[in-house]
Amino acid sequence: MKNKLFASVPNILLGLLIAVAPQTFAHACIGHDMPGACHYSQQAATGIGVVILALGVVALFVNHQIRIGLNIAAIANALLLLAVPTFLIGVCKGAMMHCRMVMLPTLIVLGVLTMVFAGIAIWLDSRSTARG
Amino acid sequence: MHSAITLRGLPYENLKRKPLRTAALLTIVTILSLTFFGGTMLTMNLNTGMTSTEQRLGADLMVVPQNTAQQAEALLTNGSPSTFYFTTDIADTIKSADGIEQASEQTYISSLAAACCDEKLQIIGFDPASDFVIEPWIASQFDGTLQDGQMIAGANVDVSVDGTIELYGRDWPVVAQLANTGTSLDNSVFINTATVPQMVAVSSKMTKNSAFAKNADKAVSTVLIKVKQGYDAQTVADNIKHLDSRFPDLGYVYPGGITATTKNSLNALISYLAVFVSVIWAMGVIVLLAVFASSVNERKREFASLRIMGATRGMLNAIIVKESIMIGASGGVVGVGLASLMIFPFSSLIGTQLQLPYLQAGPIAIIGCAVVTLVCSTAIGIAGSMLTMWRLSKPEAYLTLREGD
Repeated sequence: MKNKLFASVPNILLGLLIAVAPQTFAHACIGHDMPGACHYSQQAATGIGVVILALGVVALFVNHQIRIGLNIAAIANALLLLAVPTFLIGVCKGAMMHCRMVMLPTLIVLGVLTMVFAGIAIWLDSRSTARG
Repeated sequence: MHSAITLRGLPYENLKRKPLRTAALLTIVTILSLTFFGGTMLTMNLNTGMTSTEQRLGADLMVVPQNTAQQAEALLTNGSPSTFYFTTDIADTIKSADGIEQASEQTYISSLAAACCDEKLQIIGFDPASDFVIEPWIASQFDGTLQDGQMIAGANVDVSVDGTIELYGRDWPVVAQLANTGTSLDNSVFINTATVPQMVAVSSKMTKNSAFAKNADKAVSTVLIKVKQGYDAQTVADNIKHLDSRFPDLGYVYPGGITATTKNSLNALISYLAVFVSVIWAMGVIVLLAVFASSVNERKREFASLRIMGATRGMLNAIIVKESIMIGASGGVVGVGLASLMIFPFSSLIGTQLQLPYLQAGPIAIIGCAVVTLVCSTAIGIAGSMLTMWRLSKPEAYLTLREGD
C-alpha cells in the first residue's frame, strides 16, 4: 500500500500543479498581439501535466510491475516538460518577462520533482519485484 | 536467500529497521541544511549585487533636468527605463562650477517594446573619452573602440543570432555583450555620444515627440560629476545652483546616498535572515539532541547485546558515528538540493521581488557553500550521536541487559 501511494500520489499532485500552474500563477506573458513561444509552451505544459496526473491515477489501481512502467512514463513526460520551455518551444527572450521569471523556473522545479519522486517510486517497486 | 548482516552493514540496517526515527532525523537535518544553504546563498547573492552596484555608481553627484530626480534614482537602482533631457549648453555651464574634478554627460532614451515579447530597454549614450562611471566597467570586457552606430548590450538584452538588436525599426550592430551586474544596466544598451542624435531622431520619429527631435543634436540627460578632494557633493551642488538662476530647479541626485540607503535595507534583510537561520538551527539542534537522547534508552539493550557478542566500545561508537554520518550527509544533500531548486531557477524573480541589487554568486562560491553545508549537517549529526555514545559508555553491558528483568 505504501509503495502504491508513493507511486501515485506525487504524480497526481505534481501533474495537477503542472497542469494548473501555467494557466494561473505561472502563466505566460500577457498582452502580446500574436501568441508568442511562451503561450505555446504554456499550453504544452498543461497537456503534459494532465498526462502525468492520469498516470498517477492509473497507478492507484495496478500492480507494482505496471507501476514501474507508469513511473518510467512519468519521468519521460517530466523530461519533455523540461525540454518544452527550454529548447523545444521556448519562452520569451527578455530576462525580465513573466514567463521567463516565473513560468520557466516553476516548470523546471515541478519537472525535477516529478523525476525525483518517480525515480524513488521505481526503486521501491523494483525492490518489491526483486523480492517476488 | 538471507544475506548476513555484517558489522559494516549494521548502521544501514539499523536505520532501515527504524524508518520513523530515521525519517524524523532526516527531516530535521534536511530543514537545517536547507535553511543554512538557502540563507547563506541569499546573503551572498545580495552582497555580490551590492558590491556590483557600488562599482557602477562611481559618480558623487548627478545633475538631471527639473522634476526628473526620482526617475534618475530609479535608473541607478532597478527602475524602469525612461527618457529625459536638457541641452548641452546647460551641461557645459554646469561643468564650469567650482569643485569638479571630472564630469561627463550621459543621455538616456527609453526604447519602445518593439517586436512581440520584447521588453523596454534603456538606451544610454555616453562619451567613452570622458566617462568615468560606465567606461571602466565596459573597458574591462571590451577592448575595442565603440564606433558610431554600434552598440554594447547589457547582460539581459536579447541580441539576435546575427549580432544585432532591433530598435525603432532598425537593426543596430552589437559589438559586445557585458557580464551580469544585477542592476538596471543589465537591461540597457550603450551607444557613444555621436550615435545619440541618430537614436534621438529615430526615437522621436516613432514616438512622434517633435520637441525631442528638435534637440536631437544637443540632448543630454545628466551630467555625472566626481568632486575634487576636499569638497563634498552637497557643496558642489550649491556651487552649480549659483551659476544660473534656472539651476536651483534642476534635479540633484547623490548616488552615494542611494548606495547608503540600499545598503541599510540590505543589512536589515541580512540581519533578519541570520536571526531566522540561527533560530531554526537552535531549534533543530535541540530537537535532534532530544531525538538522540530518547533513542538511548531504546537502544541500550541493543548495544548491550552487541557487547556480549564481542563488540568493543570502539565498534559501538563506530556504528553510531556511521549512522549519524549517513543521516547528516543524506539530509544535507536533500536540503542543498531543495534549496537549489528554490533559489537558482527563481533568481530573477527573487531579485525583482526584493527590489535590492541581487547578483548570483559564482560557481566556486556556490560549491564552497554547498560543501560547508554538508560538513555542518554531518557535524551536527555526529554531535548529536556523541550524547548517545557518552550515555552508552557508562553502564556495564551485563547490568544493562538485566535492566527490565
